[in-house]
Amino acid sequence: MLKTLRLYRIFVSQNMKKLMEYKIDFLTGAVGFFLNQIINIAFLWIIFSNIPNLKGWNFNEIIFIYGFSLIPKGLDHLMTDNLWKVGYFYVRKGEFDKYLIRPVNPLYHVIIEDFQVDAFGEIILGIILLASAIEKLHIPADPMRYVLIIIAVPFAMLIFTSLKIGTSAIAFWTKRSGDITHMLYMTNDFAKYPTTIYSSFVRNFITYILPFAFTAFYPADYFLTGNNPLFNIGGTVIAALVLFGISYFIWTKGIKAYESAGS
Amino acid sequence: MNKFIKKYKPFTRSGMLGLIAFRANFICFLIGESLYCFIMYYVWRAVMESSPNPTFMGFTMQDMVLYLFITFLSGYFTYSSSSGAIGEEITDGSIAMRMIKPISYDISFLFQEIGEKIILLSLVFVPIVVGVECYRYYVTGAIQFSPYTFLLYIISLIFAYLVSFYFNICYGFLAFFLKNLWGSNVLKSVIVSFLSGATIPLAFLPLGLRNVLQFLPFASLSYTPVMIYMGKYQGAQLLISFGLQIFWVFCMWAISRLIWRAAIKRLSVQGG
Repeated sequence: MLKTLRLYRIFVSQNMKKLMEYKIDFLTGAVGFFLNQIINIAFLWIIFSNIPNLKGWNFNEIIFIYGFSLIPKGLDHLMTDNLWKVGYFYVRKGEFDKYLIRPVNPLYHVIIEDFQVDAFGEIILGIILLASAIEKLHIPADPMRYVLIIIAVPFAMLIFTSLKIGTSAIAFWTKRSGDITHMLYMTNDFAKYPTTIYSSFVRNFITYILPFAFTAFYPADYFLTGNNPLFNIGGTVIAALVLFGISYFIWTKGIKAYESAGS
Repeated sequence: MNKFIKKYKPFTRSGMLGLIAFRANFICFLIGESLYCFIMYYVWRAVMESSPNPTFMGFTMQDMVLYLFITFLSGYFTYSSSSGAIGEEITDGSIAMRMIKPISYDISFLFQEIGEKIILLSLVFVPIVVGVECYRYYVTGAIQFSPYTFLLYIISLIFAYLVSFYFNICYGFLAFFLKNLWGSNVLKSVIVSFLSGATIPLAFLPLGLRNVLQFLPFASLSYTPVMIYMGKYQGAQLLISFGLQIFWVFCMWAISRLIWRAAIKRLSVQGG
């Protein structure tokens, strides 16, 4: 365990060095990201200045859900971004070999190799939005709500990570699966809005099939209303564990099926 | 003319083959990207149901659906990867291979992209237009498709593509000076998609801002063709928008020539 943590620290510090080399490029990208989010929020604001509420949800509640959605997504982006490259390049180009010949779990090795600092943009913005929404909404000072929503964060993150593990592993058979990962990953945006606005098909799909609704709306719903902690928070934990179990199974099967490229 | 076509046809062919080779991946990618339209469809449906009026700032639900999907569609047709490709060729030096051949630098790019657009036509254009028209028929109970408006839309889309193409050529040439472009590409696409009305319909912005943005080249990229498809631009406004589009095509082309002349003197290809 200690060895694992030490490895992680070394890899992160290597990545920081790489980043410092492209400071200006990185900063420009970060400004772009922030601007994009600000425009999106301005759009929500324009919408809400013309309607009293959205199916019973007010502007600040929507901002809370939106802000919360950025945190698990940002954490996953920060720590496991390298999984994308498995589906896009590593398997196809035979570069996956290097993970198999080292005395570390290959999945862990892939994950720690990259540390995507851009993700701090999402995390920081998420925290700002949550703080400003909480200030304006009158949330009862119930410590239970704070504890449970914090517990939900790592599990919500695990939903993102598991999806990426399972779908990247498809590349072990098909050589390239990055676009499949992308297609399913984009479904997460559905969780930024209350599930009550969707048709029952979409609602069931993002709850039971691809449980992205648990990465944002359901935990946020519990925090805002105090309703159904068992489903809203418990569901997040169960969805994450089940999805991770399935994904890890596909991953280990995939590694056995992996054939290196012949160059 | 014949010689011209013969010279650039291989570029079109290579663009087509490039996209066909990755069609399964591309379709997955497209489905992922189009999910945004579906999310916004549900958001707008909820907005219309929560709104005291049946319309939202003059837009009906039908207008919003058209706006979302036609903006998505137009985005793919006016998208030009020339800036990224130029940046890459400058960084890795392969630009030298294009420069030693007796062809025009920008026209070879243009024809390569036309090849990609021909494939896109069957993958994206037909399904979305048919889908949108079926939706309109389903909602209103009458066929809304008008070949005349559609023709105007296609013409406007071609102008929009040319504005986008030369704008991206200008932008790509900046790689001659900057060398590294990831961050600025992110920033550029955010700004362009806001200014062109792809993120927020320009009609929803405050009047003063809207009036300025309508005359900038970016409105010609996305907003103008979409408004034409929706039938919101008629008569004099139609002529003005076409005039503006042509004006911006010419401007962007002229600027790209100027930058090209300045840049070519500074080009240094490292290694080979």
